[in-house]
Amino acid sequence: MSWGGLKVKFQKNASLVIMVGIFLVLPFILPYRALATEVLIFALATIAFDLLLGYTGIMMFCQASFFGSGAYITGLLIHHFQPNIFLCMGTAVAGVALLALVFGYMGTLRIGSYCVLLTLAFNELIFFIAYQWKTLTGGSDGLRNIPRPSLEIPGLFKVSLLSETRFYFFALFFFILSFVLIRKITESPFGRILQGIRENETRAQAIGYNTQLFKIAAFVIGGSFMGLAGSLYAMFMNFVDINLVAFDTSGKIVMMELIGGMGTLFGPILGAAVVALASDIANAYWDRWLLILGVVFVAFVLFARGGVWGIIENLRDWVRVPRLKDK
Amino acid sequence: MTLNLVLVQIVNGLVLGMIYVLLAMGLSIVWGMMNIINFSHGLFFALGAYLAYTLFSVTGNFFMGMIFVPLGTAVIGMFLELTLLKRLYRLNILYQILMTFGLALIGRELIIILYGPVGKSFVPPDILSGTITLGTFFFPTYRIFLLFVSICITLGMWLFIEKTKYGSVIRAGTEDSEMVSALGINISRVFTLIFGLSMAIAGLSGVLAAPIRGVEPMMGEAILGICFAVVIIGGMGSFMGAIIGGVIVGLSQSLVTLIMPSASIIVIFLVMALILLLKPRGLLGIRD
Repeated sequence: MSWGGLKVKFQKNASLVIMVGIFLVLPFILPYRALATEVLIFALATIAFDLLLGYTGIMMFCQASFFGSGAYITGLLIHHFQPNIFLCMGTAVAGVALLALVFGYMGTLRIGSYCVLLTLAFNELIFFIAYQWKTLTGGSDGLRNIPRPSLEIPGLFKVSLLSETRFYFFALFFFILSFVLIRKITESPFGRILQGIRENETRAQAIGYNTQLFKIAAFVIGGSFMGLAGSLYAMFMNFVDINLVAFDTSGKIVMMELIGGMGTLFGPILGAAVVALASDIANAYWDRWLLILGVVFVAFVLFARGGVWGIIENLRDWVRVPRLKDK
Repeated sequence: MTLNLVLVQIVNGLVLGMIYVLLAMGLSIVWGMMNIINFSHGLFFALGAYLAYTLFSVTGNFFMGMIFVPLGTAVIGMFLELTLLKRLYRLNILYQILMTFGLALIGRELIIILYGPVGKSFVPPDILSGTITLGTFFFPTYRIFLLFVSICITLGMWLFIEKTKYGSVIRAGTEDSEMVSALGINISRVFTLIFGLSMAIAGLSGVLAAPIRGVEPMMGEAILGICFAVVIIGGMGSFMGAIIGGVIVGLSQSLVTLIMPSASIIVIFLVMALILLLKPRGLLGIRD
């Protein structure tokens, strides 16, 4: 391997190592452990959405359907059957993948902004089903009584996850696994095609790719990871709030994505952290802090479309001594 | 279930449907011409209802609200278009969608700050309360009035789009706005006016709907998803499609209420999914 290639490889993994390092200490520097878990789970949902919007250029609005359905499936399974934790998460992910397949197929029937309309309508459909089917979902009260299952492989070991710190590291394991997987996907030939679709879908079609198929695949992969995040969230909260399938949750993930910086994977993590931490702090002072978040969001759309990550990169380029080679 | 009840529900469905028609028309025109999915459309519906509520409690005159509120929402809409949306036209349409989403959030929070999170009831004015008797059927006067007004507005819009010079610019712009611009028409000003017109109708539909459903901060978001479904059913960018889609949705919602009230909203989205599978462009969709 060439010297330059080695350097790139080091830099790439250095950012991953730094991120893992930050996440390892995060629960101990925040005011309480659960806040770190909240950041982590929403960061997972947001990088999953980044695969769709940032890498494939698909704007959709049913994040809450995927995230919330993952939470509901997990909650219902635990509530009624108390299965093994991995079986439970696996079923949730599989269920959401199926949902994403249906929504993805219908949302990609035609190209363009149409997908936004349709996915928002689907988001409402899922919300009203959860809202009306009270006997199953608990309606507007949400699904209560979800005891957190233990981490268990039958015959091998069993660890309780009741401690918030332990659950955080359990979630962190899945987060890092998902992050590495999603990054691998974006760097694979498949991921390059997705980026080609983002840049120019008509041209990608002209080269001979069935772009609808690739977009559906992006839906299923992104949706599954959002479902995984939702599954973790249900176990984390011991409760499924109906708001998890509502418009606001989709909006929250969209805001985290844009404020962080789309198409960068690290940016959305930062965005999730910024929004989750800011809302936790601001919520204590003012019920209507969402107004401020809305204004900040609009400001980002107007002036900083690269998000926080874009600002950081610009600063880095500005600080770094300009060399002739770079120009 | 008597025939009488079914007939009353059909009228109710038409009333509901005409509100959807008014909203979907504006949504569809803005999409067709400016290529913006306007997430703040529902906000302007809520804004119209709240402004009417304020004006009615101050002056006691409902009809004043029907004139001044649409003017107000049009001015607010055009102001936002000129100051915020206009800056984003040369970029990917994604940012315009995100901008309208942000504005919807800000607007909703402002409404909650100003009026409180709890909804308020809104009684129709005395002249329009009571019922109209047709043979053996009783219909609330206000609903018949609403039906009449909304049909007039829809007809007016149709005449405006089909028969006036301005309307032909809109129709041409829906086909190809760049070409219209190349022909020497100030497309930027047309966009502002179209956006204002769309917001005026959204505001007016809020005024009209308020006495039926009361006002509450989330009303805009609740109706936004339904309006999107109406536009998908009718076909994006099609004026007649918005009308047909709105009536279908209103009727199916109110008729399903008779059989299974809890499924009345869900059925809208199922109808949408069905039509989409049969006709991906919607009933009268004009282009991709």
